Amino acid sequence: MSGAPAVTVQNLVKKYGHVVAVDDVSLSINEGEIFGIIGPNGAGKTTTVECISGLRAPDSGSISVYGLSPRKDRNKLREFVGVQLQESALPPRLRVGEAVRLFASFYPNPLDPDSLLESLGIKQIVNSSFKNLSGGQKQRVSIALALVGNPKLAILDELTTGLDPEARREIWGLIERMRDRGVTVILVTHFMDEAERLCDRLALIDHGTVIALDTPEAIAAQAGGSRVRFVPSQAVDEQTLRAIPGVKEIERKERYVIVTGTGDLSGSVINALAAIGVRVSDVEARTGNLEDAFIKLTKDDASSVAKEVQP
Amino acid sequence: MSGLRPGTSMLRRSGIQFAGLLKVQGKLALREPIAPGTGIGLPVLLLVVFGVIGQNVPGNVGDTGLTIIDLWIPTILVVAFIGISITLPNTLVRDREIGWLRRVSTTPLHPFMLLAAQLVFDLFLAAAAVLIILGGGALIFGASLHVQILPFGLSLMLAIAEIFGLGLVLVALMPSQAVASAAAGVVFFASMFLAGLWVQPAQAPEPLRTIMYYSPTGAAAKAVLDSAFNGGPSYAGLLTMAVYTVIFGFVAIRYFRWE
Repeated sequence: MSGAPAVTVQNLVKKYGHVVAVDDVSLSINEGEIFGIIGPNGAGKTTTVECISGLRAPDSGSISVYGLSPRKDRNKLREFVGVQLQESALPPRLRVGEAVRLFASFYPNPLDPDSLLESLGIKQIVNSSFKNLSGGQKQRVSIALALVGNPKLAILDELTTGLDPEARREIWGLIERMRDRGVTVILVTHFMDEAERLCDRLALIDHGTVIALDTPEAIAAQAGGSRVRFVPSQAVDEQTLRAIPGVKEIERKERYVIVTGTGDLSGSVINALAAIGVRVSDVEARTGNLEDAFIKLTKDDASSVAKEVQP
Repeated sequence: MSGLRPGTSMLRRSGIQFAGLLKVQGKLALREPIAPGTGIGLPVLLLVVFGVIGQNVPGNVGDTGLTIIDLWIPTILVVAFIGISITLPNTLVRDREIGWLRRVSTTPLHPFMLLAAQLVFDLFLAAAAVLIILGGGALIFGASLHVQILPFGLSLMLAIAEIFGLGLVLVALMPSQAVASAAAGVVFFASMFLAGLWVQPAQAPEPLRTIMYYSPTGAAAKAVLDSAFNGGPSYAGLLTMAVYTVIFGFVAIRYFRWE
């Protein structure tokens, strides 16, 4: 995961008429990482990746993909960037095998279509027409088309939408194997578990701007992170608790002490208290997750926007 | 197809790509055989109908010096081209609407190649229609063709270019498959009428006759007729077709959208 960034986006702005879809997005994506773009519907995620893939021309800002400009060097870019579009169908009577083989023929160094279909679990439908496929099968075909060109950069928009839990796990495994082969992946998703599981780093986009950019763990921690509730065997003063690493807030409710903070909170609290001879009982711990962070951060963002709008 | 090495020359690669694409487009066209239906089936049916009428009503039509089958063969040829061209909006507008053209535009293949493969396949269909109609007309129904290859070929090529151009104009301008189908239906019948399917222009009253002669498909039918029976097409007729070809080509290119 070292080396020069594979993709850099600087001050990207894209408007549709008067609607600002992307408002000053900057980010850089390292070679070989899985980079997630998360955010509410209409936040500008798809527009951002469409600009990166060269499908749309930015109004301002600059984008570099492996040193190339997505618009000016579009022909070169197409050779090594695989794109899975959110809403894109195949001609209804085109068969799965035909489509994947056809796409393979477009690229200089394609993957073997048959083994790709096998690893995506859709080998048994090579002779089915696209119109007869289920939603999940269509999704997998769409992924196959994005990967068959053996891309250096794969842009996957709403990767596992419409898939059942087992299929999602299989696809996740496939994406992880791609990373192991050194492929850089940009993943647009609104599934927090997917982002948490797959992504090395995440950009949380809301109202067209990046409101958080970090590892999934760090973003999860930003939203307050973990919370531990316990009953101490004897009274503990505020100062002692504050000194424990990771502790941010302390609250008392009847005989309970509620501590919120970051990191492995329950472990450090229990150990620190044990060291001064305080036992704890009735422990309830909850780890902060990305979903909490997502809701908290996008809500904060919305209220700050609302404040700006008011005179 | 998957064994291409980086050393393979660009030209060779494009050639292989195009051959593969053409094969797939051909298969797709045969799986939903609208173009073969309206481009070959319908003309064959018309050939049989007018052939049988011609056998029951022998002799020349009016002062044209030509029999019914002679007069209608050029019209039927033009109807074949219309039948093929009119399926272009159906297929290509749908491919655009469902995001297929956009999807292809993210690969090294320019979507123009997709369009080109479709047109090449349609040219094959048009060639097959010409052979079937001329062969059937002459051998089965005794049309007295005196084809002069050069002007006849030129007339056919201009007719095909102009009429395919008309189909591409619809592809460029129609926003959705539903609208495209409706518009294509209207254009289909209007252009078959102007080509003389119901009334031959030679027998039509003025000003309808002039309108037909200077309409896209009427001009095409007249040029084909003149080069099959009357020694050769008029310059005015060829020029009319050329002008329409340029106009349709310009509009189609100017307003074409991939997404």
